[in-house]
Amino acid sequence: MNYSLNDVQKSIKDNLSTFCNKELAPRAPLLDTASHEEVQVLIKENIKKLATIGYLGMPHEDKYGGTNLDLLSQAIAGEEVARTCASTFLSAGASNGLFGMPLKMFGTDEQKDKYLPGIIKGELIGSFGLTEPEAGTDAAAIKTTAVKKGNEWIINGSKTFITNAPITDVCLVMAYNDKAAGPGSGVTAFVVERDTPGFVVGKPFDKLGFRGSPTAEIFLEDCKVPQSAVLGQVGAGFIQAMQTLEYGRIGMATVSLGIAVACMDAANAYSKERKAFGKPINRYQEISFKLADMMIMTDIARMLIQKAAWAKDVKDPESAIFASCAKLFASESATKIASMAIQVFGGYGYIKEFPVERLYRDAKLGEIGEGTSEIQRVLIAKSILNKIH
Amino acid sequence: MEFGFSEEQLMFRESVYKYAKNEIVPFCEEADLKAEFNAEVWKKLGDMGLLGLPFPEDYGGSGADVVTCCLAGEALGHAGVDSGHMLALGAHTYLCTDTLFKHGNENQRKRYVPKLASGEWIGCMGLTEPGAGSDAASIQTTAIKKGDRWILNGSKTFITNAPVSDVCVVYATVDKSLKQSGITAFIVEKGFKGYSTGKPFHKMGVRASATSEVILEDCEIPEENLLGEVGHGFMYTHETLSWDRSALLAPYVGGMMFMIDQCARYATDRVQFGKPIKAFQAIQHKLADIKVTMEASRLAVYRVAYDKDAGLPLNHMHTSIAKAFVGDWGMQAASDAVQIFGGYGYIHEYPVERLLRDAKLGQIGGGTSEIQRFIISRVMSL
Repeated sequence: MNYSLNDVQKSIKDNLSTFCNKELAPRAPLLDTASHEEVQVLIKENIKKLATIGYLGMPHEDKYGGTNLDLLSQAIAGEEVARTCASTFLSAGASNGLFGMPLKMFGTDEQKDKYLPGIIKGELIGSFGLTEPEAGTDAAAIKTTAVKKGNEWIINGSKTFITNAPITDVCLVMAYNDKAAGPGSGVTAFVVERDTPGFVVGKPFDKLGFRGSPTAEIFLEDCKVPQSAVLGQVGAGFIQAMQTLEYGRIGMATVSLGIAVACMDAANAYSKERKAFGKPINRYQEISFKLADMMIMTDIARMLIQKAAWAKDVKDPESAIFASCAKLFASESATKIASMAIQVFGGYGYIKEFPVERLYRDAKLGEIGEGTSEIQRVLIAKSILNKIH
Repeated sequence: MEFGFSEEQLMFRESVYKYAKNEIVPFCEEADLKAEFNAEVWKKLGDMGLLGLPFPEDYGGSGADVVTCCLAGEALGHAGVDSGHMLALGAHTYLCTDTLFKHGNENQRKRYVPKLASGEWIGCMGLTEPGAGSDAASIQTTAIKKGDRWILNGSKTFITNAPVSDVCVVYATVDKSLKQSGITAFIVEKGFKGYSTGKPFHKMGVRASATSEVILEDCEIPEENLLGEVGHGFMYTHETLSWDRSALLAPYVGGMMFMIDQCARYATDRVQFGKPIKAFQAIQHKLADIKVTMEASRLAVYRVAYDKDAGLPLNHMHTSIAKAFVGDWGMQAASDAVQIFGGYGYIHEYPVERLLRDAKLGQIGGGTSEIQRFIISRVMSL
């Protein structure tokens, strides 16, 4: 049993904290209020900045420019990015993680050579195209099809809520090559480059939060891709996607934690300065006990995330459930904490000059993206009930 | 970071779990119903070495580390042992015997620890008073030196094990004006002149644990029963926090595991509207919540255990977070468990009923949830 970070992990935390405080934090408010066009420029700059500190390469092999760090170290680093700019965390993660990890785990050598170095340098932006207008939680209900014609595949369908779509250079698109075979063996993942004819990106969505992370629909209109675009094997796409999402679960938990920590830090600092009835407001239990609750929940969330990351690293058979527990707790806590943080700020919490209103809007996504709280509970309950006969 | 247990630790946990299920649990429902401390249960805990785990072998213990002590408590809770007996064990071993072992001189250790470690004697710890709970530094029980004896006057309340105990570590002040710095620990034996215990309280939960007042009326303590140094007593109570927030909370973590087992079984067997109720998301929702609370509680509790085993200084954030979380979120978990059982959850024969009554103490005893938040926010304000 050991709850201490080792020296490498401690220095990762310190370095990322310093870097993100300097490079990401000052730009976060701007990223939240900029126009779609400006956002697309700013977020790519942020992703490039993260490349300079080796953040994008952390999950990846050194032969592509990565540093092959364990998931626990990635979570430690990720918390600092998320704390300073949640939008940057999400867009960076969709690129090096949701796109990058399937390449790492299932891609051919050609695919890895072609895309991973650019992803890791922040020069290429990747995205993950699974969700559709009528298939979110019920991912197996996707309707996008891929039909083989000679040595090419023709993809037809549409995707929605795709993080990075407006800026994506390359997208992993999941489509049914054989609907009758079912999701287990009838879905294929295709690596589709942006300039492929028939690959059309919709207008960026106007979102409640994570406004610095561009999101849009993608329309596949007789989009032709070569056989070499198949990720690994035909028919393996759904399983590939589900395995990727397990990493995404820990990622989403991490962004929720970062948002919550930012809320707590801001509220704590404010409570020391703001006076009422002659005393700093942190002298009143209505305020101080809210701060304590923020500390309890963020600290517990962090331990759940660390355990989930560790479990995945050591290939514990329960790792998926630990990831669900972490995601569920961290995201629901973040929403509660953001609300409490606004409350600590009082009237100032309600105006855009102060950071908590943005964090409050950002927090809500945690309960939805990467598997809703509802599906996490269903999965957790199932894992218990399946053991009863 | 490492969150797994060794093979040896897992085997030990399994052996305690099996032993508890076979030998102890059959007594628990009745003990809780009748609010009776069961000497048979106590003997079985002692026979398994569970009353003296952390003490060196030559004092009758097993030399176990804190993580192992927690695993034992967790296993008892998971097996379904009632919280009353588990609290009795906790107060005896970790609040009384450990303080005695840690701060006693060799004569005191030899006299008391082996008999306490085996369970032949039962120990308790007397700090709380009618007028001093959270505000423990304001205790009013006095200790005045008269020749070769100390004379203690005052009363304690809510003392776990007092009615059945042979030994009590009592805290009294040698000078009220010194507040914390006057508080001193004494080893008091049942037979000492002027020492008596009140009638056992009728409690909401932990009913098999005997709890009462302790009354000191010109109680005469021989000077060799001063424990440690004059004026250091308050510090000693702080040191027990690392046990209080790990080994005394571990049974609650086990209790949550027990809830999950019980609820999953019930939800599978109970059929309504033609389906087992596990098919309804409202039931799955609560089961999932109990699981998340259990996993989180487990992490928080074992972190305190790790800190102590690793020789790290007492971390008030870690201890207060563990206590507040297990207490408050644990209360919700127990409520969810009763809800899953519906009407049957309201009846004593179904153990979740008892677990809900027991859970409430987690928010109060050993440091209220409010005090935990006070401590946490004070650290944050620095």
